[in-house]
Amino acid sequence: MAFYRGEEGSVKFDDAGSSAAAITSTRSWSLTLDKAVLETTALQDNYAGKIGSIISGSGSAEILYTASSADETAAFVDHINTVDDQGTALFELYLNSTKKIVFDAVVTSAEFTATIGEIEVITVNFETNGSITTTL
Amino acid sequence: MAVANRNTIRGIVESRLATELADDPALPVVFHNMAYTPTLGSSWVQCLLSFGAGEYLTHGATTSASNRVVGVVVVNVFTPLGLGPGANYTIAKRIRDLYNRVIVSGVYFDAPIGPEVLASASPEGYFQTQVRVTFEFIEEL
Repeated sequence: MAFYRGEEGSVKFDDAGSSAAAITSTRSWSLTLDKAVLETTALQDNYAGKIGSIISGSGSAEILYTASSADETAAFVDHINTVDDQGTALFELYLNSTKKIVFDAVVTSAEFTATIGEIEVITVNFETNGSITTTL
Repeated sequence: MAVANRNTIRGIVESRLATELADDPALPVVFHNMAYTPTLGSSWVQCLLSFGAGEYLTHGATTSASNRVVGVVVVNVFTPLGLGPGANYTIAKRIRDLYNRVIVSGVYFDAPIGPEVLASASPEGYFQTQVRVTFEFIEEL
């Protein structure tokens, strides 16, 4: 049985939606997948009935600001400032070197922080668009 | 660009102090593991640098990853007994000004602590204060 620690994770991204590249200095990422529930309970049923429906996801990634223009880091940080965003940016969230969750997403917010005595952090929040592929 | 070699970091810290104290009015300064016999009645400075904890900073294993490493510079300032604290504090100010919130070659120095008066000087026969400066640097793997 294998366990994994957070430092084995990573984030890849491509604003063009084709070939994801590593993001520099990521500190954390998180993703929550949700499934809508539809009520199927009929009159005279004794128990509630439900079925699963639309699947969606939202999450965030924290990176330490390095002013890097390498890879897709700059595009990732600045993607919130993309107008007419069609939600086709490609995200790959890695749990280790091979296990990952892949989806297209819209960047919904980015929080830039500069706190005295601390390394500057940018938190990028996103919501998935379309299918989500898990390789777990 | 950050640096990871501990001797490089030590060199940055110590050379900064040595250069300052070589200027007029010059003062003897000694570092870890150096023999020195002070002259009673004259001022001198002792600089002791130690590295502390490291912590994960970014994703990644042994490559393309970063750690944050902290350390502390303890500077003991010795001045003659019986002359008040003024001369001592003057030296301490020179030391504080050297490191106070300074960023040098990827080493981030914090706001200094002190000069704090030590009740019992070590070695005896001096008025002793201590200035401490914590610092950190990023170790890139």
